[in-house]
Amino acid sequence: MKNPLNKRIPRELVRDLGKYLVILLFMVIMIGVVSGVYVGHDSMMASLKNGNVEFNLEDGNFELNKQASNELLADLSSGKRADLRQHFLDEAYREADEAAESAARDALEKSVQAAIEETVREQCKAYGVTDEDAVSAQIEAAIQDQYADALKAASESEDYQTALHDARLAARKEAEQAADETWEALAEEYSLNEECEDCPVTVYAHFYKNEDEDLSGDGTADATIRVFRSDSPVDRASFLSGRAPEAEGEIAIDRMHADNVGLRIGDSLKVGRKTFRIVGLLSYVNYITLHENNNALMFDAFGFDVGMVTPADFEALGARTHYSYAYFYETKPANDYEKADRANDFLKILLTQTVKADAQIEDYVPVYLNQAVNFAPDDIESDTAGTEILVYILIAVIAFIFAVTIDSTIEQEAPVIGTLRASGFTKGELIRHYMTVPVIITLLGAALGNLLGYTVFKDVAVDLYYNSYSMPKYQTVWSPAALVKTTIIPLVLMFCINLTVIVSRLRLSPLRFLRRDLKRTKRAKARRLPRWSFLRRFRIRILLQNIPNYLILTFGVVFIEIMLCFAFGFPDSLDHYAQNAPDMLFAKYQYLLTDTENEDGTEITVDSPEAERFSAASLLLKNGTHDESVTVYGYESGSRYVSIRESLTGSEVCVSRAMSQKYGLQAGDTVRLSEKYKHKDYEFRVMGIFDYDGGVALFLPNENFNQLFDRDAGSFNGYFSNTELADLPESKIASVMTARDITKITDQLDHSIGGFMGIFQYALLALSVILLYLLSKIIIEKNEHAISMVKILGFRTSEIASLYILTTAIMVLFSALIGFAAGYTVIQVIFRIFMMRMDGWFSFYLSPSGGVLAILFVILGYALVTAIDFHRIKRIPLDEALKNVE
Amino acid sequence: MERDTNFLEISELKKSFGSGETRQEVLRGVNFSVRKGEFCVLLGPSGSGKSTLLNIIGGIDVQDSGTITINGERLREMDEKSLTAYRRLHLGYVFQTYNLIPNLNAKENIEVGAYLSKSAVNLDELISVLGLTEHQYKYPNQLSGGQQQRVSIGRAIVKNPDLLLCDEPTGALDYKTSKEILQLIENCNKKYGNTVIMVTHNEAIRSMADHVIKLRDGLVRSDERNEHKITASELEW
Repeated sequence: MKNPLNKRIPRELVRDLGKYLVILLFMVIMIGVVSGVYVGHDSMMASLKNGNVEFNLEDGNFELNKQASNELLADLSSGKRADLRQHFLDEAYREADEAAESAARDALEKSVQAAIEETVREQCKAYGVTDEDAVSAQIEAAIQDQYADALKAASESEDYQTALHDARLAARKEAEQAADETWEALAEEYSLNEECEDCPVTVYAHFYKNEDEDLSGDGTADATIRVFRSDSPVDRASFLSGRAPEAEGEIAIDRMHADNVGLRIGDSLKVGRKTFRIVGLLSYVNYITLHENNNALMFDAFGFDVGMVTPADFEALGARTHYSYAYFYETKPANDYEKADRANDFLKILLTQTVKADAQIEDYVPVYLNQAVNFAPDDIESDTAGTEILVYILIAVIAFIFAVTIDSTIEQEAPVIGTLRASGFTKGELIRHYMTVPVIITLLGAALGNLLGYTVFKDVAVDLYYNSYSMPKYQTVWSPAALVKTTIIPLVLMFCINLTVIVSRLRLSPLRFLRRDLKRTKRAKARRLPRWSFLRRFRIRILLQNIPNYLILTFGVVFIEIMLCFAFGFPDSLDHYAQNAPDMLFAKYQYLLTDTENEDGTEITVDSPEAERFSAASLLLKNGTHDESVTVYGYESGSRYVSIRESLTGSEVCVSRAMSQKYGLQAGDTVRLSEKYKHKDYEFRVMGIFDYDGGVALFLPNENFNQLFDRDAGSFNGYFSNTELADLPESKIASVMTARDITKITDQLDHSIGGFMGIFQYALLALSVILLYLLSKIIIEKNEHAISMVKILGFRTSEIASLYILTTAIMVLFSALIGFAAGYTVIQVIFRIFMMRMDGWFSFYLSPSGGVLAILFVILGYALVTAIDFHRIKRIPLDEALKNVE
Repeated sequence: MERDTNFLEISELKKSFGSGETRQEVLRGVNFSVRKGEFCVLLGPSGSGKSTLLNIIGGIDVQDSGTITINGERLREMDEKSLTAYRRLHLGYVFQTYNLIPNLNAKENIEVGAYLSKSAVNLDELISVLGLTEHQYKYPNQLSGGQQQRVSIGRAIVKNPDLLLCDEPTGALDYKTSKEILQLIENCNKKYGNTVIMVTHNEAIRSMADHVIKLRDGLVRSDERNEHKITASELEW
C-alpha cells in the first residue's frame, strides 16, 4: 500500500500555490541564470580554445626598435643564448688589436721618416749643402724615393714585430678587463648568469602601424586603429561578418569596436590620410579584448581598434612601422609553470641576441601574460564563479525560508505528528514526508531553470559577452558540468538545510508533539518585559516568538543590501570617476616621445609656452600575485603642472593619491620598484601624497630622475601641455594621454555592464519582495489563531496590522540599515580585492542618493508586501480561534 | 491466546515529573493486569496519573521504575526502533483531540492507519461500521466533532491492533455523540477482539467495561472485574 501521506503533497502544493509558485519562479530564474551563464561560458571558452589553434595564436611577441636582420632572426630561432661575454671580448680584442696596430704603425712611420731625414742631412752636411730649402728638397726627394722600401724593411724587422706583439698584448689585457666589466654589469642587470635552457622558436614578422581613425570625417582623430597586413600567417582573425580585404581601399575592423561606434560593413572609414571601405568585421585571436598595451588598466573598445588591410595598403600608410614579431615555441610548454620558465628563458635569449645584434627591445609579452588574450577568459571564469556563489547564497536563503516554513508547519501539525508517531510512523517516514515538497520544488526549479538556461538565458549570457569582448564565432556546447552544478548543488543545499531543521525537530518524543511542547529550551517563566505600553510589549512578544524568521529576514536583507550597494555604487563610481577625470590629469595633454632628437640630431623643441618637459619611466611594483606597472614622473623644478612643493632629494618621492590609497602608502614609507626586464631594484622614500587619482604613479624632480636612471643631466622624454602641441613631429610621439584615456575604463565598463545595473536594481527589488513576502507570510500564518482571537476581542484590523506588520517593518528597517552598513563595507573590500588584481586604481564611490535608494528599495519592497499582509490579516476569520486543532 | 490469560501486566510502576522541590510523583507503584480482548476502563480524577499510565503503556513515555509486560515482552527493554515497531504493529491510539491530518479526507485519514498494518481490516466495511460512508470524502474541517472522533477511531482500529488505547475519547463530545462513540468502540472490541484500555473520568462508563481500575494519587485504589456489564447503548449519565 502506498503511503497515504503522499496524497497530501499535491494538496499542500495547491493549498499554498502562491507561496510555492513564488519560490519556484525564484529558483527557476536563479538556476536559469546560472545555467545560462555556464552554457554561455562553456561555449565561449570552447570557441576561444579552438580559435587559438585555428587562428594560430602566438606563444608571445616582442617588438624591436628596428627591423631585425636575418642573422638575428636565425639566432633567435635557434633558441640559443648569445655568448655575450665572448661577443664583448671579441669586439674588445678586435678594437684593441686595431688600436695597437695603428699606434705601432704610426710610431714606425715616424721613425722611418726621421731616419731618412737624418741620413740626408748628414749627406748634405758632408757635401757642404747648408741651404735649408735645398736640404728640405733633398729630404722630400729621399722620402719619395726610399720611404716605401724603408718602411717595408722596418715593418718586417724582428724588433718591430716584437714591439707590435707586446703592444697588442698590453691592449688586449686592458680591453679584456673592460669587456668583463661590461658583461658583469649586464649579467647582473638582466640575471644572465642564471640557468637558461635552449628555447628554439619560429619567429614571424607581424608588423603593425598605429593610425588615427577618423569616424566623423572632420579631420580629428576619434580613435587609434592598429593595422595589420591581411597576409599575416599568424595571429589571424575570425570573421563574424563580411570578409578579409582583397583589394586596395578595403579594410576589416574589430566587430566590438564597430558595434560601439556604429560602423557597419559598407561604411567608409578614414584611417590616417586614406579612406577605406569596411568589408569585414573581425575578431583577432590576440585581441579578444582591445587592450592598446599590456599595461592598460582596461581595454578600450571605443578609443582603440584593430584592423586588417592588404599588404599594399599597409605599406602606403604613413604612420611609423612597429617591428613586432610573433614567436612560437618548437615544443609547447605543458603547464603554467613551464610557460613562465620558458618565457623567462626566451627573454634571456632575446636580450642577449638583440644586444649582440645592436638592437633594442621595445616590448616583450609572452602570451600567458597578454591581457588582450587572457582578460576575457579570466573575466568569464570569474563571472561564472561569482554568479555561482551568488546563486548558491540565494538558494541557501530560499532553503532556510523553506526550513522555517516546514518548521512552522511542524509546529502547527504537532499533535498530528505526535499521533502519527504514537501510531507507529517512524521518524524516517515523517522526515521523508516533510522533505518531499522542498525536494520537488528544487527539482522542478532545476529542470525548468536548466531548460530556460539552455535556451533563453544562454543567449543573454552570450550577448553580454559579445557586448563586452571581441569574441570569435561560437557554437553552443552542451555542458554536463553545468547540469550537475545547477541541479545537484542546489538540491544538496536544499536537502541538507531542510534535513537538519526537520531532523532536529522530529528528534522530540511523540508525547511532546502531542502536548505541543516543541521548545528546545525549557524556560520556567516567560521573559519579563519592562513596563512598556501593552502594544509595545505585544510587539516584543511577536519578535521573540519569531526570532528564527527574523534572523533569516535579517540575513536575507543584509545580502540584498550588499548587492544593492553594488548595483547603485557601480554606476555611481563610473559617473564619479568620469566627472572627475578632467581634474585627475595634471595636464590636458601628456606627450611621451620615442626620441628627443630630430633626424638631423638637433633637440626637439616646441613653440607653445604651455609646454613643459618631463621624464617618465615605467617600473614594476612586485605585489604577490600581480605585478603593478608604476609610472615614475620626473618633473621640472617649479612645474606648473606637478604642484609638489616638498623639497625632494635623491630617491625621495611623492606618490599619487591613487597609489597611496591602493597600497596604503603614507609619508615616511619606503616603496621598492623594479625594472621590467632587468634585475635592478629601486628604493624610494615617500615624502608626501600628490593629489592625483588618474594612475598609480610617483613623482620626483627631473634632475633626481635623470641621476637615478643614469641619464644625462637635462634629458627628458615627454611634454606636459594644456594645449595640443601641433609642432611635435608625429613620428616622434610614442603616446598622448588625455582625459579620454582616463575615462575610457569607465566608458568601457559602462558599456559592458552599466546598462545591466538598472535591471539588476529592479531584480533586487523583486528579490526583496519575494523574501519579505515569504517570511512575513509565515509569521502571520503562525499567528492566525491569535489574530482571530484578538479580532474576537474587538481589535480592529488596522490595530492588528500595527501589531504584526509594524514589528516586521521595524525589523526590515533595522536589517536594511545594518545591511547597508555591511554591504557598503563588503563591497569596498571586494572592489579593493578586484582592483589589486589589475593595474591602476579606481575607488568605489556610492553617492548619498545611491545610498538612500539602496535602503529605500528594501523598504519599498516591504511596503508592497505590507499591502498583501494587510489583506491577509483582514481575511482571517473570527472562528479561526474557535476551531479545533485541525 | 486465551481470553483469560494476561495480555498486559504492570508491576510497581512509578513515574514522577520535575525535580527537587517541584518534583511530583504521578505514579507511585501501580500494579494490575489486563486480559486479552478485555475492555478495560481506567477511572480517576484529574491528575490521578491515568493519562501518564496510558502513555507509558503506549510506549510514548517511559516509567522511572517498575515493569510493563505486553504479550510477554517487557517495554523497558525495547529500544526506540523496537518501540516504534511495537506501536506500529500492535497498538491503536485514540485521543480526546482527534488529531486528524487536515488535508486528507476521512477515508484517507483512516488509510494512514491501514498503511501501517500488515493485517488491516477491510476499509470499506470499517467505514460502514463507523457510519462514515456518507462522509468518507469530506475533509476534517467539514466534519462534526463526533464524526472526526469516528475517523480517529477508524484510523486506530483499521490496523486491527492487539491493543487499543483510548485517552478520554468522549471528553470533547456531547452526551449523544459520546454514547455513539462508546458504542462504536464496544462494537469494534467485539468484532475485532482487540484489547481496549480506555482512560476516562466519566464514572458511568465503568458499567460497560469488563475490567475497571480506579486510580487516585498515582495508586490503584480498586481493581474490579465487572460481572454484570451493560452495553454502551444502555449507559446513562
